[in-house]
Amino acid sequence: MLTNFIKIILLSITLLSFSCTEKEKDTIKIAVIEPMSGPVASIGLDLIEGLEFHAKRINEAGGVLGGRLIEIIAYDNAMMAEKTIQQLRKVIDQEIRYVSQGVGSNHALNIIKTLGKHNERNPGKEILFLNHSAVTTSFTNELCNFYHFRFDANVDMKVAALISQMNKDPNIKKVYLLNQNYAYGQSFQAAARRLLAERAPQIEIVGDELIVPFGKILDFNPYVAKITASGADTILTGNWGADAARLITATANSQLKVNFYTIYAGIPAAMNSMGVKISTFNPIIQVTESHENDASQPDWLKKIEADYTAYSNKSPYADRQRFMMDMFAEAIEKAGSADPTAVGFALEGMTTKGPHGEAYMRAEDHQMHFDMVISHISTDVEKTFTYNGEDYGMAYVTDGWVDAKNITLPTTCKMKRPKS
Amino acid sequence: MDVILFTAFNGLLYGMLLFMLSSGLTLIFGMMGVLNFAHASFFMLGAYFAYQISKYIGFVPALFIAPLIIGFLGAMVEKYALRRVHKFGHVAELLFTFGLFYIIEELVQMIWGKVPVGYHVPEYLDFTLFSMSGMGYQAYAMFTLIISIAMFVALFSVLTKTRAGLIIQAALTHPHIVASLGHNVPKVFMLVFGLGCALAGLAGVLAGNTLGTEPSMAFSLGPIVFVVIVVGGLGSIKGALVASILIGILQTTAISLDLSINNFIELIGFTVDIESLWHILIDLTISQIAPILPYLLLVLMLIIRPRGLFGNRDV
Repeated sequence: MLTNFIKIILLSITLLSFSCTEKEKDTIKIAVIEPMSGPVASIGLDLIEGLEFHAKRINEAGGVLGGRLIEIIAYDNAMMAEKTIQQLRKVIDQEIRYVSQGVGSNHALNIIKTLGKHNERNPGKEILFLNHSAVTTSFTNELCNFYHFRFDANVDMKVAALISQMNKDPNIKKVYLLNQNYAYGQSFQAAARRLLAERAPQIEIVGDELIVPFGKILDFNPYVAKITASGADTILTGNWGADAARLITATANSQLKVNFYTIYAGIPAAMNSMGVKISTFNPIIQVTESHENDASQPDWLKKIEADYTAYSNKSPYADRQRFMMDMFAEAIEKAGSADPTAVGFALEGMTTKGPHGEAYMRAEDHQMHFDMVISHISTDVEKTFTYNGEDYGMAYVTDGWVDAKNITLPTTCKMKRPKS
Repeated sequence: MDVILFTAFNGLLYGMLLFMLSSGLTLIFGMMGVLNFAHASFFMLGAYFAYQISKYIGFVPALFIAPLIIGFLGAMVEKYALRRVHKFGHVAELLFTFGLFYIIEELVQMIWGKVPVGYHVPEYLDFTLFSMSGMGYQAYAMFTLIISIAMFVALFSVLTKTRAGLIIQAALTHPHIVASLGHNVPKVFMLVFGLGCALAGLAGVLAGNTLGTEPSMAFSLGPIVFVVIVVGGLGSIKGALVASILIGILQTTAISLDLSINNFIELIGFTVDIESLWHILIDLTISQIAPILPYLLLVLMLIIRPRGLFGNRDV
């Protein structure tokens, strides 16, 4: 009896592994390393779902190279940098040739460094890194690498976009910088200081603060008091998560009227945690590549986003996963093979349909360039944001567009290219 | 004057939040010797329960019901799990509460999802009560302050003035004698653990809507409560109160001071090369190091007075 049972199990395992290898031969695999457990798991899981949706969309339209399918394989790093490396080793062992990641620049840095060595030592087995959201500027400057492509705007570009919007508001005279004291927050701070001096000399920096990051600060009242005392009319901050939500909540609770210019303070999860009253007490202005209520959004994108909502039961938040996957598929077609080096050359300088005009991958440093939209949170919107069926009762309203030209910054990248 | 009053008041507000968080923990540790790593998890559960209850029947019922449920859960944890682990010593207990922390975090994620939930301050407490130095103070902050003071008074009088408190205190130091006098010591421990958890739950109900209710809140709050109970003295409610307010005022004052060692050096007429490594260190302002000050205090306290401010035995 028992032996029979074991036989059946063994047989089914063998059959299962056969069927897997049969399928795997054909697919082009992308290993996605993101947090699927731990405190920021929701962000990782949503991103993976997004990438899976776009892979499915491309596959249903016929795949690439006459019928080969793209497969997303998710790996959990639990938001721990050493786990990212462990998972990456697994990816290398399994001979997967594409890696994608985006949550946390420290993780991206680990991938860039590990792959840098791997690619140098294993010619013919190179792995290409599709970075969809890790924004530390140095990845496309001094740390640039042929096998790294970034599909999100970097911190400097996002800050440049925010500052060009601030320039349009003559009421902004005094700005307070408040950032998290780690790599990302520091690079936000440096970019803000430099670009404010260059592009908006009329705006005075009345405060410049680095705080202990990741929800360690419970009470933001003393910071709000400092901001009040400084007479600032605008807070320019890269804060995200609890560090952003608590700052904005404390500001609203003490009735301080300021503008918030942010990158991530308005992300959907933060919106819901703050609630309508706090999210709309002060203008929370953010910069993204697109949003659902923007009037200029093309119909074909509306269609894709509607499909995404039907697939995931969530409103769309970003467009970069969409154009990253589209460009990846197109690059494979253009190269005529799924070899990372050939695909890399095909991606260089490639243009694609962006949410607002054309978007292009700069060949020099592998940094994507596109127009960016400035929006703020409002209840007065056509479509409110929904997440797993829960209606947040608010969404974004466009304040203006920043032309890709205005956020194109020089690069210090000196890239070593493989021989093609 | 205005500045002093303002700092003292903000520090008090923050300190009382810390006190609510840590009073239950110090009680449990002091009475039972259990270092409850899952304490902040009960705090988190308080916030989530309050969110769920206030969604259906309102905030005021949640204020009473949520801590009661959590107190009951805590008592059950003590009765059916901790008591069994207890005979294997403190390490086993420690590991048990450590595991409980992760189990609760995963359960919360399974039930309420991984994104923050929309737990907000009730409308009728969401208005500005008064202003000081250009900053408005929300009525809800005052409400929290009053509840936390009431909590301290109630807890303190129960422990020192009532018969139950007397038995609890006696059970702490002489469990065998108390047992031979006919008191059910395990039951006393169960009630103390339940009460400690209920206090954490109450803190969660009151703070969850201003701090944000999300699965990582237990993790980010864990360390600071240990600082409070060690500085205050393990097991001392009075100590927890004084330590909380001390840390609250210390941190609030420090954040508002943009002074660095460099300022003093320049004041006496020296300059330090901007490029040197020393410059980075001495250029740190007091406000930048404010969040590590409680931990500095912890280290100093352990060196100078290991029993804490009001403790009667060493850590």
